[in-house]
Amino acid sequence: MRTRLALAAVVLALLPWFLHDYGLQVAIQALVLGVFAMSFNLLFRNTGLLSFGHAACFGSAGYTTALLVSKLRWNFAATLPLALAAAALVALVIGFFSVRLTKIYFTMLTLAFAQMLWAVAHKWYGFTGGDNGISGLLPPGLLGNPKGLYYASLMALAVVCAVIHVVRRSPAGYTLRAVRDNPARAEAIGISAFEYMVAAFVLSGTLSGLAGFLQVAWQHSVFPDLLYWTTSAEVIIAVILGGSAEFFGPAIGAVVLVVLEAVVRSHTQYWPLALGMVLLAMVLFFPSGVVSLFPRRQRQEAPRAAA
Amino acid sequence: MTLPFLFLEFMTGLASAASLFLLAVGLSLIFGALGIVNFAHGSFFVLGAYFLFALTHGDATGFWHYLLLAVAASLVLGAVVERVFIRRVLNRAEHYQILLTYALLLIIEDVSKICFGADYKSIGMPKGFEMPVFVLGIPFPSYYLGLVGLAAAAALLLWLFLHRTRYGTLVRAVTQDREMLEALGVNVPLLFTVIFAVGIGLAGFGGAVSLPLQSISTGVAMDAVISAFIVVVVGGLGSIWGTLLSAILIGEIQAFGALVLPEFSIAFTYVLMAAVLLFRPWGLLGRPPAVRT
Repeated sequence: MRTRLALAAVVLALLPWFLHDYGLQVAIQALVLGVFAMSFNLLFRNTGLLSFGHAACFGSAGYTTALLVSKLRWNFAATLPLALAAAALVALVIGFFSVRLTKIYFTMLTLAFAQMLWAVAHKWYGFTGGDNGISGLLPPGLLGNPKGLYYASLMALAVVCAVIHVVRRSPAGYTLRAVRDNPARAEAIGISAFEYMVAAFVLSGTLSGLAGFLQVAWQHSVFPDLLYWTTSAEVIIAVILGGSAEFFGPAIGAVVLVVLEAVVRSHTQYWPLALGMVLLAMVLFFPSGVVSLFPRRQRQEAPRAAA
Repeated sequence: MTLPFLFLEFMTGLASAASLFLLAVGLSLIFGALGIVNFAHGSFFVLGAYFLFALTHGDATGFWHYLLLAVAASLVLGAVVERVFIRRVLNRAEHYQILLTYALLLIIEDVSKICFGADYKSIGMPKGFEMPVFVLGIPFPSYYLGLVGLAAAAALLLWLFLHRTRYGTLVRAVTQDREMLEALGVNVPLLFTVIFAVGIGLAGFGGAVSLPLQSISTGVAMDAVISAFIVVVVGGLGSIWGTLLSAILIGEIQAFGALVLPEFSIAFTYVLMAAVLLFRPWGLLGRPPAVRT
């Protein structure tokens, strides 16, 4: 595993020097969606909660950056702490109310909250620009340079992966999975399931905000689309397509999704049709994601007692 | 704001409630029985409208009998989709159900773009509703009333089916205890096909009868499915009467919200949805779950 990881890191670090402009744009987009998908899976994998509201965290961070830069003339990079804070706050509010509900009700409530934010961003022309969005947000310096943005996104992905790894191995991570697998029993031994799930939601949402910030740095603009439910659907697709049970599954899913989209779009305008077909095939034929399509040698060697 | 004006606003709200009810009731029925959250539901609403448009070529003269054909096409499509796709995910985790129906949404969107084009489609007022009616001296499109009547008729027929026929009793029973029905020898898979087809048929009917008032393009499905979710969640997943109540509530909130705060009229409905989910997660008229799982 370590050698593979080191190999992947070397390839990713050298990649920008072998890509054209367009290829680099695709790579950045894949990394940003990868950050988003890994963050989403922090919640989904450890708590089993399927959020349809992560667009709210992603988009509110993006809008925070855009508003601070366009209205208050802040330096682009300096908006990052506030963008993350906005995402954390949104996640706290949504998580606080939503984790009380289970299953599809949780999913629907998170969807409702995210759509509420979308409705405000979509209609409040005076503040958010409505559906015209806010554009012309070219970040100066490193983030404005494609290679710089690539490395910044790669670093963000590494940070997010490290955080998830630490959380997963920590007592809190085990507690979360205990709550996921048997909430009644976890409560019975004195665990506050509510607090742990809210904390996981906030952490996952904050890291999603990092992806939202990078997304704005990449597209130089914000639109209400960032908050729309299809953005939440896209990250879920990336996570499941890659395989939510594997550590790097979501990131791999993001790469597959973004690269596939770039390839299909260069041939035809019917990308949704192609994506629909891929999703159908995945749900019906390889439900564990693309990761499961690779040879399984590595995992068969792994000790099973860890579970 | 005069009284007749407010009354007309109320009638406009009722007309959008009629459309919302037809859009959402099938979603509620399907969720109640199959436990599937159908993200493609809005697409079937749009498809119903496209079927009608394709049959009439945009000319309203043959509206009524082509409407029957459009509904029949939706019913058949619903049955086929259930047999081919939905059946395979019935016992799977819900994210697979969501992804499968989302895939159907994407596929239907592009296939209808290929078949019908991406432009907005609309149709004139159907026969019998060409002239406006005068309400307290103000002209008002009579089809608004027609749409309300059609939705009311659909609700009544659905009620008769569910409560006055043996098959309707089975449909209600399967929402409560599927295994008991199987033990009693009921063909539950067939029942599911029928329920899904009826739900899709209702959505197609809703899309078709809404076409004279609301032009349709492929992109409408994305918004429509969310509207349907809101109506169903507010009313109570699986509850027909809850769906009716919440469709009226939301139709009126949108109509009057647009008068008070036009900028945030859509936000009102989301606030309503969030409030209902917080205080009555099972919806206004839904059944509270016996055990929290």
